[in-house]
Amino acid sequence: MILTVQDICKRFGQQTVLQGVTLSVAERRTLSILGRSGCGKTTLLKIIAGLVKPDSGAVRLHGTEIGQQLPEARNVVYLYQEPLLFPHLTVLENVAFGLRVRRASASEIASRTGRMLEHLGMESHAKKFPHQLSGGQKQRVAFGRAIIITPNVLLLDEPFSSLDPETRATMQQLFKQLAQEYGIASLFVTHDLKEAILMGDSIGYMADGTLTTFANRQEFINHPDYGATKEMEFWSSLRQQTTTEEYAASV
Amino acid sequence: MSNRPANLARIVVVATMGLLFAAPVAYLVLVSFAKHWTFPHLFPPQVSAELWQTIWGREQGLASSVAASIFLSVVVAVGSTLVGFVAARYVSYHRWRRGLLFLSYIPFVMSPVVLGACVHVIFLRLGLVGSTAGVIVAQMMFALGFAVIFFASFWNAERKALGEAARMLGATTLQTYRRVLLPISRQPLLLCFLQTFLFSWFQYGLTVLIGGGTVKTLPVLVYLYTGEANIYYAAAASLLLMIPPLVLLWGNRAITLRFG
Repeated sequence: MILTVQDICKRFGQQTVLQGVTLSVAERRTLSILGRSGCGKTTLLKIIAGLVKPDSGAVRLHGTEIGQQLPEARNVVYLYQEPLLFPHLTVLENVAFGLRVRRASASEIASRTGRMLEHLGMESHAKKFPHQLSGGQKQRVAFGRAIIITPNVLLLDEPFSSLDPETRATMQQLFKQLAQEYGIASLFVTHDLKEAILMGDSIGYMADGTLTTFANRQEFINHPDYGATKEMEFWSSLRQQTTTEEYAASV
Repeated sequence: MSNRPANLARIVVVATMGLLFAAPVAYLVLVSFAKHWTFPHLFPPQVSAELWQTIWGREQGLASSVAASIFLSVVVAVGSTLVGFVAARYVSYHRWRRGLLFLSYIPFVMSPVVLGACVHVIFLRLGLVGSTAGVIVAQMMFALGFAVIFFASFWNAERKALGEAARMLGATTLQTYRRVLLPISRQPLLLCFLQTFLFSWFQYGLTVLIGGGTVKTLPVLVYLYTGEANIYYAAAASLLLMIPPLVLLWGNRAITLRFG
């Protein structure tokens, strides 16, 4: 396992946000975490990234405890809900940022950044500034900026929630492609059931600060408590109804 | 319908404003070139550049005052802007933000002179009274409070997240400041520098109190000349007092227009 989170607890004042959260992510795999707003998903991701300190519990990368490590030493990237690009840098410089702070050579930066922009389909926008991009394009750049440094784990906090359905579908596809190509393990947080099933190799459900994980998608879908079966039944009954109506109309 | 009354009113307002701003400056320029300008002459009977030629002489002390004022104001402005920028970041994201910000307001509750009176005894014990360092520290106490309050609203959730994003991509604290936080803060940094520079540049009471008459900045000289009824030197010193702020304001405008 590349990432192991064990028994994490966190309180903010009187409010318990996380209680005994345990999970693990295998290499090149994506764990989707489904949960409503305010259930503690973001806090969990920020703890893994080193942005918030847990009250207790352990976070391990490749079996090594990283609880005391600073965010810059973890090589774990947390992607915010809104694509937070550096406003004073061009698309090219945003993507190259992680390589520049690592003092990579100019030729390496040029070749890797060029290749990444090509993957993202953003070559023609390389010299643009973030305010000149659409929401989907910004999110692409944010992905590229994170993936180019090949992080140990990528943490995605509802990254497509502000996009329209079409762009959202394209971005989901792009993310899967990039994650596979660069061999990135990721933790994908969403409140959308369909997205959780689509993006995750395994799925977790979070409510009131506790996490229930399922070894595979099917196990999650078959569980009666989480609504996947109901949703599937709804869509299939709708389809059946439409087909019947169409047949009746044709007769 | 004719716009003539509205136009006339606009012209009158603009002319009045222009007169209010320009007249004192024009008067100062005139006085600084005047010689033996006494009542009942409406204009100076003699005009000469003699004063400006001798003004930099050592005996007048104007040159050293200009140098002292520039040094003091630049140190206070740079110091309080940079320290305030970093301090405000910690204050803004601290769980006791409100309490810490309240403390930053305390120098404003007192005027700089009252603040100077409060710290005078401590400064005396520390041997800071009568020294440039003492005046810098005293002025910084006020300017730093201003800078912290000024930057407190700048450090919002988005800027915090930008700093975090840089660190997660591998940037050290120094790299985060140099490559992200300082470049995105250029405008507020310039504005804060300008404000704190002006505060220090025009400061009189605190400088006299802590400087103990040894630290002679331009405002101190203006008051001195005015007290001696030396209107020619007072006018020249006042004009010199106006130059750096005008240059800074022009520079700030030029940078704002260039970089947006």
